[in-house]
Amino acid sequence: MAAPFSRVYRPLWRIITTSALNRGVRNVSSSRQQWSAQNVKPAGAASPWALHGAVCLQRLPAVSQDRSPIEEEFMELMHQMELERSLLSDHELRLLEDAARMSRKQEEDYDSDEEEEDYRDKEIVTAQDLEDIWEQKLKQFQPAPRSQAVDEKDVSSSERCLADSLILLVKKHVGSQKLWLLPQIQWQTGETLRQTAERALASLPGADLTATFLGNAPCGFYKYKYPKDIQKEGSVGAKVFFFKAVLPSHKHLPLEKNSFAWVKKEELQDFLKPEYLKQVRRFIMAL
Amino acid sequence: MNTLLNKVLLLQNTRALVCAASSLQSQVLTTQMPLGVLLTNRQYRSMPTHGIGKYRHLLPKALPKKKKERVQAKQIKAATATEFGVFNVCVSGYDMTLVEHYSQYIHNLCNHLDIRVDESCALPTKSTEVMVMQEQGTKMYVDAVLKTHERVVQISEMKATLFPIFMEVVLKNQPEGVRLCLKQVRKLHLRHIDTVLIFILNLVWLHLTLLCHCEA
Repeated sequence: MAAPFSRVYRPLWRIITTSALNRGVRNVSSSRQQWSAQNVKPAGAASPWALHGAVCLQRLPAVSQDRSPIEEEFMELMHQMELERSLLSDHELRLLEDAARMSRKQEEDYDSDEEEEDYRDKEIVTAQDLEDIWEQKLKQFQPAPRSQAVDEKDVSSSERCLADSLILLVKKHVGSQKLWLLPQIQWQTGETLRQTAERALASLPGADLTATFLGNAPCGFYKYKYPKDIQKEGSVGAKVFFFKAVLPSHKHLPLEKNSFAWVKKEELQDFLKPEYLKQVRRFIMAL
Repeated sequence: MNTLLNKVLLLQNTRALVCAASSLQSQVLTTQMPLGVLLTNRQYRSMPTHGIGKYRHLLPKALPKKKKERVQAKQIKAATATEFGVFNVCVSGYDMTLVEHYSQYIHNLCNHLDIRVDESCALPTKSTEVMVMQEQGTKMYVDAVLKTHERVVQISEMKATLFPIFMEVVLKNQPEGVRLCLKQVRKLHLRHIDTVLIFILNLVWLHLTLLCHCEA
């Protein structure tokens, strides 16, 4: 059965007769491997391809990735080397001096007048006292947790996998089926495709996502044909242009469970159809 | 005249003879050339080693030394429909190693992607004193001194189609505790990067299909 996203193979002669009668210019080839270079028609003739703008919304990673064992070992080695090569800081020198002075005070032939000319002020707060105060402060400090208490498998939460970048997918009715796709919407005359993508993002129900679009140029492209029963004279299929947008990681909004998903690049294959996935994968970077 | 010269050359090349020949030659020459040129005709120019140490004629023509002009402010290339103008990527934070490494990462990324980097420099460190009020009393004492380090990478002539890819890589690799901001440069001062306006993206939309092979 032909899903709308898979390329339907039709013999070439049938395509020419159906499309050449009406338009006569375009060579539509539907073999799976071949990309045909489509010329953009002038505004007068209506194209049989419906244009859609889609948005690839990515939530940026909030924390840095964990180090691998080799990286850990190397980092420790470098720290060790740096420590061994370093000189003492002012605070450490002061610690040593105080300790030496303390030991001299304990001796029997301690002459306080000789020693105390320079050190009268510094005896009030020694370096060791300062260190103790700082230790106390450090214990009171709570760093932010590296992972929120969210189940890692729950794809509807945008707070999972803080070390990776996640992509938003929506479940949509396409024809008779429900499919997972990147949010897309049909292009209207008079607007640019980037505005279409922004509209696609704004039209998501329940989502108040203010994302930053990275540029005016689309990052990817997907073309599919409607199944034969839906295909009319004027419409052959649809072309989808993808635009990239980023969502900074500190904005988290709850979304409906079954219709939204935040997925990593590796998990995309569980959600998207193979042909669609092939095109989408080309512009998603898993960094 | 010519036969006389040949006879002279047949004999041994004594100095006197050479002098005689040269004097004959000079007489020939003086009849043809203006007088002023050869008034300074001196005997040693007939020596075979005359002008042996000359080299000035072999050197390239040295231009007259220019006076040091006042350095004009550089003209900034304005943004076109497909290229950005000049903008600064400012990286700032409290931890100097992170800030430095991140700015070096951005610079290396630009080199790798053939993006032109005009300048890469450090702005002066700003120290912030954190003052804490004492528990009993009104006096404030210094609790900590925080130093903010800042690094700037100035980029020009970046293509609009490459920009989203570049931004994505830079944003995804931003470390914790480091602030990133992009500022457009309107006016360049000499030796200063004076940023006046906040970065605005306002390009004409291009219908391009960009299929980028950015597999991790």
